[in-house]
Amino acid sequence: MSTVFDSPQVATDDAPRDSRRSRAWPSWLREPLLHFVVLGGLLFAIDHVIVGRSDDPRTIVIDSRVDDEAKQIFKSSRGREPDSAELTALRRVWLDNEVLYREGLSLQVDKGDSTIRDRVIFKALSVVDANVKLPRYDDNTLRGWFDVHRDKYDEPVRYDFEEAVLSGDVSEAAVRTFVAALNGGAPGDAQAGLRVFKGRPLSNLEQSYGAEFARALDESPQGVWRAQSTRDGWRAIRLDSIAPAKPADYESLRGVVLQDWTDATMAEQRTAAVRELAKKYTVKIEPSAK
Amino acid sequence: MEFGFSKRQIAIAVAAAMGVMATGPAVANGTDKPQGHYVAGDFHNHTTCSDGSISMQKLVQKATDKVDTPWGLDWFVQAGHGGSGNRNCTLVEDDSLSTPVYPFDSSFPLAGGVYSKISTTPGAPYTASNTTWVESGVTPKGLVSGSGASQNMWRWQSIQEFQYPLIEYLNAYKNLPLFLGIESVVAGHEHSSMSVITGQIPASLTAAQLPTSPGPATAPYTPVGSGTALAQWEYCFDRGDADTSRGNTAVGSGIGNNWNCAVPGSLNEADPSWNATAQKLIPAGGAGTGIKGHAKTLEALKWMSQFHPNTSYYVPAHLERAGPFNPDGNNGYNVEHLRDFNNTAPNIAFGFETQPGHGASSSRGEYFPQRNNIGGVLLDSVGGTTYGGTGVYGAQVGGVWDALLGEGRNWWFFASSDWHNRGTFGPDDRRSTQDFFPGEYQRTYTMVRPGTDKRGRPNKLQPQSIVDGLRTGNEWSSGGQLIDRLSFIACAAYGPDRKTPVLDAVGNALVEGAALVAAAKNTDFDLKNCATMGEKLVVRPGADIIVGIVVRDPSGTNYSPYSFPNPSLLQVGITQPLNEPELDHIDLIRGMVTSLPKQPTDPDYAGTWPNTWLTNPDISTVPAAAKNTTAAVIKTFSGSGSMHWKEVRSRDAEGKFLVMTYRIPAVSQSQYVRLRGTNMPPGVPFETDANGNPLPDVNTNTTTTLPAGCTTNCTAQGTLMIPCTTTSGSNVPENGVPYPADSDPIDACPNHLPSINGTKYVAYDVAAWSDLWFYSNPIYVQVDKSTMIAGVN
Repeated sequence: MSTVFDSPQVATDDAPRDSRRSRAWPSWLREPLLHFVVLGGLLFAIDHVIVGRSDDPRTIVIDSRVDDEAKQIFKSSRGREPDSAELTALRRVWLDNEVLYREGLSLQVDKGDSTIRDRVIFKALSVVDANVKLPRYDDNTLRGWFDVHRDKYDEPVRYDFEEAVLSGDVSEAAVRTFVAALNGGAPGDAQAGLRVFKGRPLSNLEQSYGAEFARALDESPQGVWRAQSTRDGWRAIRLDSIAPAKPADYESLRGVVLQDWTDATMAEQRTAAVRELAKKYTVKIEPSAK
Repeated sequence: MEFGFSKRQIAIAVAAAMGVMATGPAVANGTDKPQGHYVAGDFHNHTTCSDGSISMQKLVQKATDKVDTPWGLDWFVQAGHGGSGNRNCTLVEDDSLSTPVYPFDSSFPLAGGVYSKISTTPGAPYTASNTTWVESGVTPKGLVSGSGASQNMWRWQSIQEFQYPLIEYLNAYKNLPLFLGIESVVAGHEHSSMSVITGQIPASLTAAQLPTSPGPATAPYTPVGSGTALAQWEYCFDRGDADTSRGNTAVGSGIGNNWNCAVPGSLNEADPSWNATAQKLIPAGGAGTGIKGHAKTLEALKWMSQFHPNTSYYVPAHLERAGPFNPDGNNGYNVEHLRDFNNTAPNIAFGFETQPGHGASSSRGEYFPQRNNIGGVLLDSVGGTTYGGTGVYGAQVGGVWDALLGEGRNWWFFASSDWHNRGTFGPDDRRSTQDFFPGEYQRTYTMVRPGTDKRGRPNKLQPQSIVDGLRTGNEWSSGGQLIDRLSFIACAAYGPDRKTPVLDAVGNALVEGAALVAAAKNTDFDLKNCATMGEKLVVRPGADIIVGIVVRDPSGTNYSPYSFPNPSLLQVGITQPLNEPELDHIDLIRGMVTSLPKQPTDPDYAGTWPNTWLTNPDISTVPAAAKNTTAAVIKTFSGSGSMHWKEVRSRDAEGKFLVMTYRIPAVSQSQYVRLRGTNMPPGVPFETDANGNPLPDVNTNTTTTLPAGCTTNCTAQGTLMIPCTTTSGSNVPENGVPYPADSDPIDACPNHLPSINGTKYVAYDVAAWSDLWFYSNPIYVQVDKSTMIAGVN
């Protein structure tokens, strides 16, 4: 929030100060050009001090970290520490690469490279992750989260069923004829094979065969072959059994819930942190991107 | 159950049974095939000589070692891209890869120039194998491109002078069946795995004394044989090779190979694309690039046919990836181009690599929607993606492969690793977001007949035995070690007048027995009334065809580094460790052969697979040229039902063999049968449909793209859909922590899986290890007075 001052008051305060200044200092000191020069010099000096403390892009420092990395790489491939000549050569290698790296950056060869972009995103996300803190939690926290997400843990209704597969003519008439034979004692794999499905959840049936099939199977008598219409044709199906849905038990799943809650909470916090960072950007959406 | 019959005993028994049932004079003699065995190999992979991440030595080690990398292959063809490259892939990374002639050179990379230090693999340290040719004291020849230390060497030179000598040396030094090939950058198309083996690994190498120290940098080892034939082919016909020097030290020098790429009987100099300086075809770019390039590639096949008819092969690689054929550019292949290849050189162009490598990539196989900009229009990889890791040309029952088989062509299925790197991991890490090592995931098993020595032991495999094996089609490919033995046999039984259930049962049992003995001994069989993959069985109308299948589902763990439950199967309530896959079922697929191999003037010779396939996979949208609607699954075998497969053990081999038979009654039309199998039951969300067909892999790909042609209200393809829910494990290394070969399995969803709202999803290598398939090549059945199977003798 910004503070809004009352203009007349500002004018009242400034007027005497200006009049005092005009009495104490010579007139040339009030020259705008002089102010410009002095302030510019001050800014330059501050910039020099600040920038001077940071890395000079034209200065390359070979420090102990470089040596340590060089020694580690050398040792991993040669099984011993490098001697001084080899270390000098390795430093030279590092330096060459650093020069190339800096030149590459100045040439902006990293622009448009999705691999480099992904790598930078990954590293930035790691920084974000390091600052994300898992909030305090207790059993109520976890139990509440579990209740909200219990569809993830509840055991769904599951179906055991079989499909006797026909090849060639799979018209409704052919399937019905086949079903009659099956119910007359023919083995399920009398034709092209038998598919046995155990414990398939309802969602799976809907996805693979269509919702109509799932409803029909749910209403089927057990142990009887039936001709069933599915999303992609008629099939000979026999329902063997249905295992009812079973609510999940929080106590037995507490460890899993804790892990899931942790993952989800960290993800939420990570997303929130990134969204917060996004606030400092002005996002313009081009018409073609809408 | 245990079978202790010898192969010969079984052969005699089957022959006798066939004879008993025959109404005519069935001759029970075999066809005198030499003894053979199936061997696993790989012919498409890369080193730093092209765009791979490791040296030739390291790749050979990774691909063939059976201890550190237990997937070690039986044979190996190193085959980088045609064109050029600036790195010397013969320099090893460390002492462990040293050999007397190619020792680790401590001057690399320590004293090399700056360009040698740039690793192409994110996160991988610079290595000697990234050192350039110039830095290592070698002068590139010909019309040299690049400058300074990063001058490029044409592949012809690196093959002839460096890569072939090294592979010959390793062949002899390690006593391994190794030779050299190329993944050619194809004129008019994308890529092709190929080789010309003439001169490679001569018999005299066996007696040669290997040197004990290296020669000069320009020739560390002087080979007994030669890679010159392959090098010349590369110079003459690879699209990436723009050299015009005729394989000489410089253009116009006259010093060197002085190659002429003319093909007897072709236009050559009269062809507008002929370049007199280069003495080869160099089609102009722009309009007609694809058409002119395809014509050049047909010249390449003619050249191979004329000069190396039995010593070369040509197998289009990941042929769906670059989209359909582009007449004005270099993109993919349509069915007519495959027909052109097979018509031009049936002995050389005999199949396709429709199961691509790059199986752990963010987009499986590197296939994805809107991948290819053709004429300003973004087009999908053909089919949009892979299907259980296989391209749509091979995966779609009734599609392109069946169209070609329906003409009785010798057109075989291959799978390769296309190894480049591990993506975000180093080459010694077991995890991958890009490639698998050769043999680690995909393994193509080929029947080879190398003969035996005086003591009856198999001779060492030579390149000719391997190429002959590839050509026969007696082979099969398996992903993730789903199966490691297969015997697939079809035998004829006659005589409906004498047909009884008992005789049928006896016939079936004998075929089963023959197949089991063959599988247990890792071999095939030799009976006149039977045939196996790549062969044709000639029968009279009315014969029953008894199909015998035996596979071994390996016990124990496979080469997956993950032991947590397969997330795809968890969706349907099946808990199965990812590194202990179980074969769920095998489909027997049959198609009818309805014509001789088509010629360009025949109807339905050409046709483009529809670009809308991903969103509308309707076979009626596929042109007649690219489909065979007679192809269908006629039988599914599993462990269920009254006629389930039998589990048996053999005295001849360890493990559990699954045995099954099927009888095709009274055939009247020429046809073929082939197999596919998987660990995925039908109806697994985002993996298989209700009929057990593989679903598009877009939902395990991290690349999200809009479907082709969609401009408004589109749903992105490639949305990750299979959650990886095993979150708690005791061994889940962080991404930055190395996970080398001897580590314990990772027992929960690994950290490199993408996460959405806190849930990890199946992608990368986990997607590949979850979803395993095998494919066999076909057995043809030619029925007298029906269509002749012309492509197979």
